[in-house]
Amino acid sequence: MVDLSGLAQALTFGLIEASVIALGAVGLTLSYGVTRFINFAYGEFLAWGAFTVVFLVAIAPALPLPLAVAVAVVAVGFMGVAVSGAFFEPIADRGGLPLLITSIGVAFVLRYLLVAIASTDARSLPVPLQRPVEWMGVGLTPVQAVVIGVAALAMLAIHGVLQYTTLGTVMRATSGNRELATVAGIDTEAVVRRTWVISAGAAALAGVLYTVLYAPVRPTFGFGYLIIIFAATLLGGIGRPYGAMLGAVLIGVTISVGSAYLSPAYDQAYAFIVLVVVLLVRPEGIRRGTF
Amino acid sequence: MARTILTVEGLTKRFGGLTAVDAAHLTVPEGQITGVIGPNGAGKSTLFDCITGITAPDAGSVRLGETELVGRAPHAIAHAGVGRTFQTPRIFEGMTVRENMAFAAVAQTGESVVGALARPGAVAAEEAETDARVDELLAFLTLDPLATAYAGELSGGQRKLLELGRVLMLDPTVLLLDEPLAGVNPTLGATIVDRLEALRTDGRTIVLIEHDLELVMRLCDTVVVLHHGATLAAGPPSVIRADPQVIDAYLGRMET
Amino acid sequence: MAIVTGWVAFVVTVATIACIYGLLTIGLNLQFGFTGLLNFGHVAFFAAGAYTAAIVSMPPPGTVPGARYMIGLAVPMPAGLLLTLAAATLMGGVLAALIGVSAIRLESHYLAIATFALAGIFYDVLVNERWLTNGTFGMTQVPKPLRATLGADAWALAYLLFAAATLAVVYLLVGRLLEAPFGRVLRGVRESTAAAEMLGKDTDRIKLVAFSLGGAIAGLAGGVYAHYIGSVVTGQFVAGVTFTVWAALLLGGVASHRGAVVGAFILVAFQQSTRFITTAYDAAVAAFPDTLGVVLTALAAPLPGHPAFLPSVRFMIIGLLFILVIRFRPAGVLGDPQEVTVMGSEE
Repeated sequence: MVDLSGLAQALTFGLIEASVIALGAVGLTLSYGVTRFINFAYGEFLAWGAFTVVFLVAIAPALPLPLAVAVAVVAVGFMGVAVSGAFFEPIADRGGLPLLITSIGVAFVLRYLLVAIASTDARSLPVPLQRPVEWMGVGLTPVQAVVIGVAALAMLAIHGVLQYTTLGTVMRATSGNRELATVAGIDTEAVVRRTWVISAGAAALAGVLYTVLYAPVRPTFGFGYLIIIFAATLLGGIGRPYGAMLGAVLIGVTISVGSAYLSPAYDQAYAFIVLVVVLLVRPEGIRRGTF
Repeated sequence: MARTILTVEGLTKRFGGLTAVDAAHLTVPEGQITGVIGPNGAGKSTLFDCITGITAPDAGSVRLGETELVGRAPHAIAHAGVGRTFQTPRIFEGMTVRENMAFAAVAQTGESVVGALARPGAVAAEEAETDARVDELLAFLTLDPLATAYAGELSGGQRKLLELGRVLMLDPTVLLLDEPLAGVNPTLGATIVDRLEALRTDGRTIVLIEHDLELVMRLCDTVVVLHHGATLAAGPPSVIRADPQVIDAYLGRMET
Repeated sequence: MAIVTGWVAFVVTVATIACIYGLLTIGLNLQFGFTGLLNFGHVAFFAAGAYTAAIVSMPPPGTVPGARYMIGLAVPMPAGLLLTLAAATLMGGVLAALIGVSAIRLESHYLAIATFALAGIFYDVLVNERWLTNGTFGMTQVPKPLRATLGADAWALAYLLFAAATLAVVYLLVGRLLEAPFGRVLRGVRESTAAAEMLGKDTDRIKLVAFSLGGAIAGLAGGVYAHYIGSVVTGQFVAGVTFTVWAALLLGGVASHRGAVVGAFILVAFQQSTRFITTAYDAAVAAFPDTLGVVLTALAAPLPGHPAFLPSVRFMIIGLLFILVIRFRPAGVLGDPQEVTVMGSEE
């Protein structure tokens, strides 16, 4: 007989983790939609987001945390545009492979710039240590609830942009076919820039939430977390934001249930395994081109 | 009555809601040039894709002699004796013309790790053989002056000839040529036609897709007409020309 | 005089590590440069080889204090070296074959992610399966063959010669393969799998062979590494190794057989040189405290003083290498631009 409250607790933890993953996955999939390459540097925006807040809190302790987070999200959003303009857009016509390899280089530059500035020390954010509140047999701290809430709001906002604004419309058009969109008169370069702001901003927020949940964190945590984000993104179908959200829930729950019921030593490996299975099993679009 | 080399029966391929090939049938006689014609979208290239294993048909059978080809991997089908060229030649641009040709040499000892490392004598002997064969074919195709040029530098017509040469290295039982003259200048075009006729004289079996109707009627011994993925008519050019269904569906509308 | 001996020892160390990385880069070049397989998990094959060599040659667990591992076959050195290296090579090849069997048909971007993820899983296994790998504490008693007989300095030199010889043999063998029809087939498959299939080549099998061979060579590198360092610890097999090898390949020239080795040497020299920078800095400040020392100290003052600073800068430079090579000289130092442009042309 399955321990229902234990399962419910595992599912809850899964949902909490899924909030973070979803933000990351949505950001990644949005930028993939317009740039069409797998960005291995994406994880670094999470770390930069987290550490920008750490830095802001350190130099201005009176600054309210939500404000610091907002500043960090915007700052990293624009950092994303700068990175894209400096490294990716100049070779955008070369195809996905050079961009992918370049993104590895960008990942190294961003990650180790952060380490050079902040050292490898693990840091946390001033988040109060709380007792879980029992609710229907499941324990949840207020902070965890806030994390879920913030992530949900952010995704609602992104949904709003995609469905109800001009930007959203042109993003979806460019994501379908960049050449066609350019021919149709859309300023695709502006769309790319704006998409990067949203994408990197989402990543920064995900990084902050990650730090809130799993502090202390090191500036190098982004690269490893990338695999989990890839898993969610690919599970949902790359370039599909709503799929990414669903994928995130599935991955979050898999990690949580796997750790609870199989071996806790492996946690992230469960996401890896799902990722590998998805890659091998999903038909067309993944199998080699022409056949 | 020539022997039948290749039989296609009831071949069907659907892509989502679209039926690209609709229970098509085709009989390819040995030692002849068979032309496959039809309006754009008639399913001709898809038919070739199904025969060569690039696409798995939803139904039907393709028999090379006694061997059923449906369900086999593309390389196995090529190995069985079906050679195919593409509308846009898929030559290896980064290799020389000679290397492109040598690539196609069959069952080389030097292609395996063990063979390449442990049997240098056999490898050298086979390479010499391959070289001789390549020279022969390049001369036949009038490409010999370009042997050491990079394939990426060739013109459209030269690429078609190279692709043909590569496929001939396989010594295939039947050649499937997808628009061998598309986009080729008239001079090279004439060379290609000339070489195809020479191949027929040699006893080769050729099936080709072409849009140039005059050429098809002149060159081919048998013509098959595809329309909406189905076989509309098949027979000698004179019969096809006069077939009212064909004229109605196709010839009447085509000017070129 | 101490500085001179120090210099020689430094060069010998750098050269030995460079030979090992040379092997790794040749393996990756076989997979990516010549066959077009985007492998972002190369460190896994390196680790497989190193751990295999360790397991085969380590003393039995009972004799090592604090040992959590359960298998130590204690094959005697130096005769057993051939066996441990053969086992290491085999393991690298087998792991690559296992990964390859399913992953080989993936389109390159997805192959990159899959291999990256699989290497991640493999790393987790190394850390968690303590009965096999002694976990994060590592296998620290890997024998260095003939170390006791030769003494430290002579052994370092002898091992360098051994590593160099191994590199030379592999270089020649792989070179022969690439000159043979095998190499030609790889290059065709790399440029267009579809065309190769149409010409009767079993591209799945060809890719698997190339991938496994690359993994086997990486396994051999791992074995040579294990006996050189004398210990095999999980911390040595992180993703950074994979991308250092990639940097070496890109710099030396993708699909250039010579380039792979040249790139490895340049990159290892660069990596090891940061140690030299700190020593040289300290020596200069100590030797000329009032002149050069003052200038250097002033220059260094605004820089963060934490120990991760120099290694970070090093990694940033490696990152920049990726970016600059791809953008301005995709063929690297020795690569052939003609060959490089056709890569990934099937996108």
